[in-house]
Amino acid sequence: MKRGFHFEAAMIGASLAISVHMSFAGEKAVHPAVTEQEKLMPCFECHKTATPKIYTEWFESTHGIANVKCYQCHGTYEDLKKVPDVSACAVCHQEAFGHSEGKMCWECHPAHGFVAKE
Amino acid sequence: MSLTRREFIKKSAALTAASYVGLNLPLGETERARGEETEKWVRGTCRLCGVGCRLDLGVKNGKAVALRGVADSRTNLGYVCMKGMLFYKLIGHPDRLTKPLYRTKKDQPFKEISWDQALDIAAREFAKAVKEHGNDSVAYYGSGQAQTEETYLFQKIFRAGLQTNNVEGNPRLCMASAVGGYVTSFGADEPIGSYSNIEKTNCFFIIGSNMAEAHPVIFRRVMRRKLDHPKDVTVINVDPRVSPTSRIADIHLQFKPGTDLALMNAMANVIIEEKLFDEKFVSDYCVFKKQEEKEAKTVDFEAYKEFISEYTPEKAAAICGGNITPDIIRQVSRTFAQSKGTVSMWCMGLNQRIRGVWANNLVNNLHLLTGQICRPGADSLSLTGQPNACGGVREGGGLCHILPGHRPVENDKARNQVEELWGVPAGRIPPKPGLHTMALFSAVNEGKIKAIWINCTSPAQSLPNVDFYRKGMRRDDVFLVCTDVFPTKTTELANLVLPTAFHFEKTGVYGCTERRSQLTPKAVDPPGEAKPEVWIAREWTLRLARELKDPVIEKCIEPFKGLEEGWALPKAVWDEYTQKLTKGRDNDLRGATYEVMKGMADGVQWPAPTEDFARKGGTEIKFVRGIDPMADSEAKDDKPFQFYGPAHADRKLYVWLRPHAGAAEEPDAEYPFVLSTGRIIDHWHTSSMTGRIPELMRANPYAFIEVNPKDAARLGIKPGDMVEVESHRGKNVLPAKVYEGPIEGMVFVYWHDMDEDRMINKVCKDAFDPISKEPEFKISAARIRRVSGSVPLKPYIVSL
Repeated sequence: MKRGFHFEAAMIGASLAISVHMSFAGEKAVHPAVTEQEKLMPCFECHKTATPKIYTEWFESTHGIANVKCYQCHGTYEDLKKVPDVSACAVCHQEAFGHSEGKMCWECHPAHGFVAKE
Repeated sequence: MSLTRREFIKKSAALTAASYVGLNLPLGETERARGEETEKWVRGTCRLCGVGCRLDLGVKNGKAVALRGVADSRTNLGYVCMKGMLFYKLIGHPDRLTKPLYRTKKDQPFKEISWDQALDIAAREFAKAVKEHGNDSVAYYGSGQAQTEETYLFQKIFRAGLQTNNVEGNPRLCMASAVGGYVTSFGADEPIGSYSNIEKTNCFFIIGSNMAEAHPVIFRRVMRRKLDHPKDVTVINVDPRVSPTSRIADIHLQFKPGTDLALMNAMANVIIEEKLFDEKFVSDYCVFKKQEEKEAKTVDFEAYKEFISEYTPEKAAAICGGNITPDIIRQVSRTFAQSKGTVSMWCMGLNQRIRGVWANNLVNNLHLLTGQICRPGADSLSLTGQPNACGGVREGGGLCHILPGHRPVENDKARNQVEELWGVPAGRIPPKPGLHTMALFSAVNEGKIKAIWINCTSPAQSLPNVDFYRKGMRRDDVFLVCTDVFPTKTTELANLVLPTAFHFEKTGVYGCTERRSQLTPKAVDPPGEAKPEVWIAREWTLRLARELKDPVIEKCIEPFKGLEEGWALPKAVWDEYTQKLTKGRDNDLRGATYEVMKGMADGVQWPAPTEDFARKGGTEIKFVRGIDPMADSEAKDDKPFQFYGPAHADRKLYVWLRPHAGAAEEPDAEYPFVLSTGRIIDHWHTSSMTGRIPELMRANPYAFIEVNPKDAARLGIKPGDMVEVESHRGKNVLPAKVYEGPIEGMVFVYWHDMDEDRMINKVCKDAFDPISKEPEFKISAARIRRVSGSVPLKPYIVSL
């Protein structure tokens, strides 16, 4: 029910396809245990080494240049989502919604790089 | 840069609008709502910088449940930054001030009191100060975050009611030099062009601005322009510090802080020497001015040429240091002059300087010499830091020397006109300007100000050399009222704290960087007993009139008595301001009625004398016949441009002879570093709002000091080490960030942190520009030393 609700909230003309992360869009995720002090670090400080490919893809993307940060799509520790709710995309990109029915944004604009597939 | 060579995604022409989608706000499972399930979308403006981003707030059952950018808005084109995306968390935040609080002495705890008691106390204390110490013993200190209605109403009450021009606001700390620059160069305040030039220009000259962090959504437009046209668009970034803005730059000019006046004069030198100037534009519209004693003298082109001949690229390169060479000066001068269109953008790097007005003049000079103005893709665009520094404070009469509608206080005719429009006796408004911000807080220190109303800002953190001025605010013989949404470092020093409505909890207008006034209607109720400032001001004034037995004070709020506070009251204030005070002025906003703005995706750029014209958006480029209605109605000849600005009776644009001048406090043997300050993207001003949003606070929980790797190596400073930065005034201890950002010999600290050990304004110098009175936050002499290795730190936010 919870997942379905999130999808309903998130999906405007999009399918329920499972993402490449095998995690559902908008579904809450649990971050590996970190201390309260460690939570006071920008995400990228750890993810530079923990997920270097993702970090580099983001840094070199338009989101990276324009300083669109991890937490804007993925939330923070209390509401973390491994695969963001697509409604987060809609805040800025609502104009693009509906131009490719039945697909999630990242199916054509791969996450973190966002360059459209040819 | 390799990034600029990459193929980037182009916007699809096939994009279709889906008006019902938006971010669902995580208000708990039971309250989570789909965008299309909102009862209504309320369209308003973000308040967390000066860009003027428009967004829709989805409301259901009286609560904010969804959020989306407004794609049709000409300010943000639908985009928002993280602050705009998360500000909704401040609506209903548990730290909100919800009841009036009072104490007689500042070392006592606050007690909750009723509104009646609070307003009576405020009226009694201000009346007492006036009776015992005179009208100039009281003052109002406002904000570029206050709505125009609020600034306008408070200044009216203080000037015509309490008969003092002690009306100031925090834009003195950020935009006053830009005002001085525009008025002295173009004869009129505020930019000539619009954001729309970004998509038309071929050269960006970004100087003294880290717009990637301070104005992220406008930076996104600049980035998009560059990435979509990598070969046709040149980005020149001019800053002693390499910042995130530098990522899109083709050329980054890095120089010794405080030497940019020499650099810009050298650019003018190249433009003259290589005959890159627009001879017809200059001869048709410009004159050359030299300041002599107190008088500005007109000189001829030959005199200017002789003056500027001193600033050879070779000489400037020697002054500037860094990576500045004579060749690079020549290159950027040619690009600036020969581009099909050049847009300059600047902010605090030029404004917060001892010669901030001169620095502004020198940017404007480059545009005037080359004719890079008044046409698509060409503009001299000062970026504004706050959402309503332009609309409310600069236009609405929020500084000590200007009345509403860009009228100088000292001008008898202008002052008498305002008195007549307000229906108060002639001579009611004193002719002498009030105290500017730094003089005002000096007077507080000296005990000359007995009662001060501080609205929507926190000078106890935001003033330079702040510890010095906090001494005055702590005095028990200074009655201090704060109207705010959260506890701040200034409410800590207040006698009376009055809880106010946040935006979207009240109705009002913000006027952004590009002269655009935009309405934010009330969407939800304020928490507890919080009230809109216009209601507070009106109710206080009624009591003040009784205390002082002065019917003219009551006359100031006569048109607003009894009006409902959510819409009718601010609308009546806006109508009086626009229909009476802006009529026939260069910021004519008569067409920008609430009804017109309510129906728009964004808002109205002045001048907009009629509703029909306002509905189309108003004036995109000032002074151009066929575009600006006042350029037609005020035309004196058949030339295409009509510079009717109120400050230049000769209707000319002034190219100023301004010599190079350094900082008020240059580094020396004892304090060998230049300390500079600025913003970081996740926070806003004194972080009383952004510090209460967990995502933003975690992203930047405490200030750090940026140190150049060469300096760090010399001083044994490693990343994360605790470093003391000290000036003649005070010191901070901060963790070090070691990277190739600041030029060697310079350190940089962001200024948002509330913690006393990391509050960098304690260290900054309070010298100010003699013309604009804006302080030189950007340059202080300092020394640094390693104190210890890394230490776990905690973020800090004031609580009651």
